[in-house]
Amino acid sequence: MLKLFVNMMKEEWRVHSTMFGSLSFALFPVMIFGIAFMGSFLLPLFRTVVPPGYLSIIIHAIFLLLGIMVGGFGLLGMEVMNRRFGQASLLSYSARSLPISEQEIFCTFVVKDTVYYLVLWVVPFVAGFAIASPFISVPLSLSLLLFLTLTLSFLTGLALIFFLSTVYARSKRVFAALFVTLLTGWAALYLVAGINTVALFPPLQLFHAFSYDMLLAACAVVIIPSAIAVALFTSEYTDTTKRFKNAIVPLTKKLSFFPYPPLAAKDLIDLLRSGSFIGQTLFSFLIPLWLLWFLLSVLGRFIPPGDVLLLFAILTGVIASTMYTWLTMFDTFSSYTCLPVGVPALLESKICSFAVLQAIPAAFIVLVTIASGGVAYLVPAFVLCLSVSFYALAVTIWLTGLSPSVLVYDVKVLFLYLILVGIAVLALIALAFVNPYYATGSVLLFLPAWLLVKAGFTKWEIQDQPMF
Amino acid sequence: MDEKQGVIGAAGLVKEFGDVIAVDNISLSVGEGELFGLLGPNGSGKTTMIKLLTGQVRPTAGSAVVLGLDVTKDPVGVRKKVGIIPEQETPPSFLTATEYLDFVGEVRHITGVRKKADWWFDFLDFNDKRDVLCKDLSRGTRQKLMFTQAFIHEPALALIDEPLINFDPIMQRKVKDYLTEYVRRGNTIFISTHILEIAEEICSKFAILHKGKLLHTGTVAELKGRDQHLGEFFLSLVETGAHA
Ligand SMILES: Nc1ncnc2c1ncn2[C@@H]1O[C@H](COP(=O)(O)OP(=O)(O)OP(=O)(O)O)[C@@H](O)[C@H]1O
Ligand SMILES: [Mg+2]
Repeated sequence: MLKLFVNMMKEEWRVHSTMFGSLSFALFPVMIFGIAFMGSFLLPLFRTVVPPGYLSIIIHAIFLLLGIMVGGFGLLGMEVMNRRFGQASLLSYSARSLPISEQEIFCTFVVKDTVYYLVLWVVPFVAGFAIASPFISVPLSLSLLLFLTLTLSFLTGLALIFFLSTVYARSKRVFAALFVTLLTGWAALYLVAGINTVALFPPLQLFHAFSYDMLLAACAVVIIPSAIAVALFTSEYTDTTKRFKNAIVPLTKKLSFFPYPPLAAKDLIDLLRSGSFIGQTLFSFLIPLWLLWFLLSVLGRFIPPGDVLLLFAILTGVIASTMYTWLTMFDTFSSYTCLPVGVPALLESKICSFAVLQAIPAAFIVLVTIASGGVAYLVPAFVLCLSVSFYALAVTIWLTGLSPSVLVYDVKVLFLYLILVGIAVLALIALAFVNPYYATGSVLLFLPAWLLVKAGFTKWEIQDQPMF
Repeated sequence: MDEKQGVIGAAGLVKEFGDVIAVDNISLSVGEGELFGLLGPNGSGKTTMIKLLTGQVRPTAGSAVVLGLDVTKDPVGVRKKVGIIPEQETPPSFLTATEYLDFVGEVRHITGVRKKADWWFDFLDFNDKRDVLCKDLSRGTRQKLMFTQAFIHEPALALIDEPLINFDPIMQRKVKDYLTEYVRRGNTIFISTHILEIAEEICSKFAILHKGKLLHTGTVAELKGRDQHLGEFFLSLVETGAHA
């Protein structure tokens, strides 16, 4: 099992590093380190605005969110990834032929993923903070504790998603029941009993007051769901004899208003049949946003609720833009190369499908706005959310073409993405805080977005597609 | 245009991937009605050559004209006219076999694609797999599907990369006969393979690649005239090529 683990690790490294050179890939944690290091110097500044307790809540929530996102992208896409990175080459796939149980393979896969992302994200972040801590007069022991609690936050997020997604794969009904129970449980505690549920989060409690009992509790929150997930895991290849009615022709007819109806029809079929449509909406959209809302509602104590709503709309836009990866994860360009379809046509078609998917964030933001009693902010929130989403999509297309979820680990790409999206987001936050209706000016983002997309078309037409 | 010229004309094609020179200054031409075999050991650049000729990758240097179109200027135009079997057979996972052929029919604007598909399901004997998702098909069946996809619009030129590798002997026989019959009707086929017996059996002309370089082009008839087998010839050439 250890051998399998080591091999999987090597495999992952090889897949990623051959794609953009080992140096560029090795620089990824270095960049996270740099961001954390420099960010730490802003800490004293934050402290003057944000009450002390909130900062730790925010950081822990971010790592919980990170765990959830990584889990959502990683595990739901596991089968897809196996395919994409080549049936022949990926060890976790060929491991099926080894004399090891599926549970063991899955378990190793989970551990590998965890270690991998821990090294890639959590370690460099905490290291950056730790190195900066003497300069901002934070004791080093606090950094060590932070390392422990952030890792636990991250793992809690991962474990939660692994747990929920294996339940989901086993039985949609049980999953729904579980989901509703969790949600009502939380609502009962928070809304009815008025208990501050955030403070109950074990890693956070551990951070505020270290005790071995709490450490045990925090570990249990990670280990128990993971163990159940491993126990519940079954092969996804059970329905091999399933037959499907022809859907492509009727769908192509229905979607005739699209620029490339058959391509759009295929996107839709992929989403529905792979189960990603509901799965991704839940795991990479609703759950992260629910958490984000939670996070922002903490901020609500010192910025006006309207501003919180607009901030939320902007962040929803950023998360909504990642729906593009839902459309690109099923096949690389290589499955189109035997057909007379160029990269620009494919990108254009994906953008249209993306536009349709934006009905989800659009409806979501309208509901949230109304539910939170901010009807006055409906128009700005709506406009902000969608403009940010389309702008971030344009940046993604320009930077990564048809391979967003892979190229994001290229340092140059991620760096540019953070700059380009970051500037726009900060500018919009500033504008929105001055006057909500200024924020509707975000429609102007469609101009740079359009230019970026045009540039992306040319760029990815000339460039060879990375083949996996 | 000369009768025997002009289906494929490559001039000084070079393709580099970083430090690797996958295709190193290759010029060749393929005439109408030929069954042209591209032979060479693993990693010699066969697949890259097919990708260059179908505009799937851009040449680092050199140019190629396929069916009168420049592959760099109009790659999509070239792919409209030809049929391609890529090396890794990858029909989209979540479409069924029938749906994939319908999809190809829509993208290529083929009329009566259903009827044609029916013929292929019978011919390659995979009727029972029509409504199964591609991800659940066996390798051989996927290859059948990719074969169908390449020929269903009856292209004047098909570029096929190791098309027989996953077929059983009976299926290989059937497909080889199909290919020879296909060129007899005036079409052209450009096939890459390292199974020399196949090349010897069906190809009219062949080229041998080694480490990206073109070592030899010739006709199978020539070899037969010298009473030489393609296998021996290939080995002697590649061995001397490796020492040169
Ligand atoms: N996308 C790529 N990136 C980097 N190197 C590549 C790429 N594609 C091919 N190569 C390299 O180019 C060379 C030629 O590869 P190619 O696939 O064309 O060989 P081949 O003759 O088809 O081999 P085989 O018989 O094994 O299919 C090899 O050294 C290969 O490693
Ligand atoms: Mg090859």
